[in-house]
Amino acid sequence: MSSDGPVRQTTFKRNGHVNFFLRCLQALPASGTSQDANRITIAYFCLSGLELLGALEDKTTAQQRDAWIEWIWSLRSPNGGFGGSTFMITTSNANTSPGHLPSTYTALLCLAILRAPLDRLDVPGLVSFLRSCQGQDGSFSPLPRSQSEGDFQSDLRMTYCACAVSSIISDFSGINVDAARAMIRQCRTWEGGYAARPGIIEAQGGTTYCAMASLKLLEADGKADSTEDHEETLRWLLQRQIGGFQGRPGKLEDVCYSFWCGGALSILGRSDLLDAQSDRTFLLSAQYPFGGFGKEPEDPPDPYHSYLALAALSMHEPAAKEHALGLKSLVPTWNVSEESAKWLRGEISRIKALKYPA
Amino acid sequence: MTAYVPMMQRSQWEDVEPTPQLDGPDPLVPIMYAEDYRDAMDYFRSISATGEQSDRVLELTEIIIRKNPAHYTVWGYRFQTLLALQKDLEAELELMNEFARVNLKTYQVWHHRLLLMSHISPKDPQSEIDYIHRALLPDPKNYHTWAYLHWLFSHFQDRISFKQWQDEREWCTEALRVDGRNNSAWGWRWYLYVECAPEKASEEYWQDEISFAVDAVHRIPHNVSAWNYLRGLLLRLNRSKSTVIDSLNRYASGESPVTFALEFKAEHLAEVGDREAAVALYDELSRKDPMRAAYWMWRASR
Repeated sequence: MSSDGPVRQTTFKRNGHVNFFLRCLQALPASGTSQDANRITIAYFCLSGLELLGALEDKTTAQQRDAWIEWIWSLRSPNGGFGGSTFMITTSNANTSPGHLPSTYTALLCLAILRAPLDRLDVPGLVSFLRSCQGQDGSFSPLPRSQSEGDFQSDLRMTYCACAVSSIISDFSGINVDAARAMIRQCRTWEGGYAARPGIIEAQGGTTYCAMASLKLLEADGKADSTEDHEETLRWLLQRQIGGFQGRPGKLEDVCYSFWCGGALSILGRSDLLDAQSDRTFLLSAQYPFGGFGKEPEDPPDPYHSYLALAALSMHEPAAKEHALGLKSLVPTWNVSEESAKWLRGEISRIKALKYPA
Repeated sequence: MTAYVPMMQRSQWEDVEPTPQLDGPDPLVPIMYAEDYRDAMDYFRSISATGEQSDRVLELTEIIIRKNPAHYTVWGYRFQTLLALQKDLEAELELMNEFARVNLKTYQVWHHRLLLMSHISPKDPQSEIDYIHRALLPDPKNYHTWAYLHWLFSHFQDRISFKQWQDEREWCTEALRVDGRNNSAWGWRWYLYVECAPEKASEEYWQDEISFAVDAVHRIPHNVSAWNYLRGLLLRLNRSKSTVIDSLNRYASGESPVTFALEFKAEHLAEVGDREAAVALYDELSRKDPMRAAYWMWRASR
């Protein structure tokens, strides 16, 4: 049997995954320095992962969680929004420590997962921060426009973050919705999926998820029409399944696309059309023997792929029946557990009624 | 490798007091920084607090981005400093060439390059086009590189000559000849031939484009990109599949038909109103392509 290559994992390594996330929360080695500006997003992967596994309350102390909450509040920027890390906060200068759009989205979710009272949240500040990130063409940049010129990063990932933040605070006044929708539509390619930016002509799984999730969130605002034709997108997404999912035609399977493509399908209400069993088998085979998931089988684990693998597996739970892994259910548009999403909605209503009475 | 000399031992930094990071007592995801990175960041906090823009700032920021090429704040500060000191941006572009080799997937490196090119604003962007063509050789499907190539052509659209557009079309055709399955190259072809088609493109122009896709299917019948391109093109031109179906039907028959051909044929049959035959093909698809069985049954039910 040795000629068959390394043994692929088939059983779910729950404890290994719990320990992997706990280790990353405690410290990353120096090789993680390239994540220095995005620590809050790494924290989100770990905290949300622990929550899906149902381990957050058991494996961390209330004291620890309170201290983490304080750390997250320390990331608030003078111009609204949250920064990605504490690397600049000592200067308290809006020019060098601006809010960062993806970090703002993940910081809000971290606060929700940790059940942080949100009395300190500056909702109007978030709205004006979002407004400052949107350009004439409807796209969003990761930093306020005065901080960044050019548009290499003003892609659908940023549009998604802006839509998610607006949806979380139940306030879309920070977005020019018509311009944002027009920009999303321009990202649609000849293939039926969505590229990162208008005019770029190759669709990609991650940006297709961002497009589907953004349109769904904007729909909830009541301003978007829901007559958009998604059949070509559905076709493109399902064509990406080759066991697990690939991000583009001709590419290999990659754990993260099980979430990006699977999540987009779930948002379209068509999870029933994918082959959950094949996807699950692939995902389990990409578990690292000591916990966590890599990009593909036998790759070393990282928080990004580890979390997205669990998020994808969580969406397969209803179909898995007696083989369910015991993962909490997920809200695919926000990418957080239903429990946290529900709590967050309630908490936002509470503080809005308290701080900003109509 | 020479040993790292701490900033406080460097005479040019004598006047600066380092500012340590305030990470609090219980931070999330702390990183065990290497000493040189921590040291450089401590000085970066100090100089950015005073807004200093100088040569030593350029040295300092280079130390940091070499350790962390995703540090958007440091990149932004570096770019503003380059502009303020009226530095030679071509030299900076050289440095980016070196960076790109190891950081092909880092957004910030490409973003910085884009900013530099916007400011250099060359009369003729040919050398940059050549550079990107070379950068694609070792990694022909790198999404960032293709996105940047697209930016280059759309940003400098008006100063790219007719001959350069022609050359680019030939380059793309060659890329597809080398690897007919390179989906990125197919996307680039769509930009060059469909998005940038002549305003009043002739019937012959579109026939040529349709033939190119059909020929690509003949060369590699299982090529998903070629089928998708053909399908997308007919959809865009609002044309029926009838004109091309005759030469493609052969891939939809036999013991192991091409699934894309079965789908194409089923869509053609539905187009011409033969629903029953289309459903039979979707049924066959659900057996030949079991991973998408539920999908094909759903298509059959529509």
